[in-house]
Amino acid sequence: MRCSVCGRAAVIKLRHANLRLCPEHLVTRVEKEVAGAIRRFRMFSPEERVLVAISGGKDSLALWHILAKLGYQADGLYIDLGIEEYSTRSRQVSEDFARGQGLTLHVLSLKEELGATLDELTRLARGKTCSLCGTVKRYLMNRAAWEGGYQALATGHNLDDEAATLLGNVLRWDEGYLTRQYPVLPGEGKLVRKVKPLVFLSEREMAAYCLITGIRYLYEDCPHAEGARSIVFKGVLNQLEDRYPATKISFLRQFLKVRNRFRPPEPVVLQDCPSCGMPTAADGLCRFCRLKERVSHGTPA
Amino acid sequence: MVVLRRKEETYTVQAGRTLEEALRELGILPETVLAVKDGRIVPLSHRLAEGEELELVDVISGG
Repeated sequence: MRCSVCGRAAVIKLRHANLRLCPEHLVTRVEKEVAGAIRRFRMFSPEERVLVAISGGKDSLALWHILAKLGYQADGLYIDLGIEEYSTRSRQVSEDFARGQGLTLHVLSLKEELGATLDELTRLARGKTCSLCGTVKRYLMNRAAWEGGYQALATGHNLDDEAATLLGNVLRWDEGYLTRQYPVLPGEGKLVRKVKPLVFLSEREMAAYCLITGIRYLYEDCPHAEGARSIVFKGVLNQLEDRYPATKISFLRQFLKVRNRFRPPEPVVLQDCPSCGMPTAADGLCRFCRLKERVSHGTPA
Repeated sequence: MVVLRRKEETYTVQAGRTLEEALRELGILPETVLAVKDGRIVPLSHRLAEGEELELVDVISGG
């Protein structure tokens, strides 16, 4: 198998892109795709500061690596959720990466910010772990970006993540979520712009990128992810992809073309939370501060 | 025989077939893994040789 670009020995075949690539040109392709997505969707400019949400996994570390390589001002944010050994290992990998690359990593601890780890919070709030995790992470990431003066918050969502999310939204015909699913969500007030520069790159390409460039990432999933709906959807999409190459990329690209046909939800009036000052649609305390209050009182939701 | 290791699991397959053929026989979608040998990615078209050992890296992350 020969590289479609240079004719040397290829190591990976990307059926969805009709490409066979050697290590060097796989790296080139991934970096060009990231640069192209940033430009096309006007995610951020070289003058702006970007905060990258770091989990210790392949996508976030590769994204951070690429943004730094492309010359963007990118710092990292790791949130220690306190998920037993998993958080210890993912934090270590993230800190090692930052140190090795000479990059700045901010670390927030959920235990310090909220008074409880994610596992403790799940028991106390009687909620679904992944839903609570999403709530606290979204809040802490946005607050850290806002307080740190960053103009954009970048996450490592890749093509497989976005296609799986889209499938879930389509299966429920959830217009609100469909109108919000886009590689850029503009900022407003204290809500910082959110961007997904890996949107058109598959998980396979990202894993290959890390292996080739020597990025050491945490090769294990969050223990709470087992049986998650997103993994089931990814499995279904990979079955389709195997039979009909380019299913995932065309599903997402075609959606982005027709997305405006969906009716956006009525705009929500945001006000500042009386406790933390961050924006909330709720009357009174924001969701994070309500959770914090419950934790401090030790009362179930 | 050829040994394929994937996390805690170890598979043995016969030499002579391609990596893609071996993965399909094991019921593993080729799209969902990368095979690695001595730190290098092994292409799906690679014909497996007797005594070879490869690591399978899952590329699908969850959560």
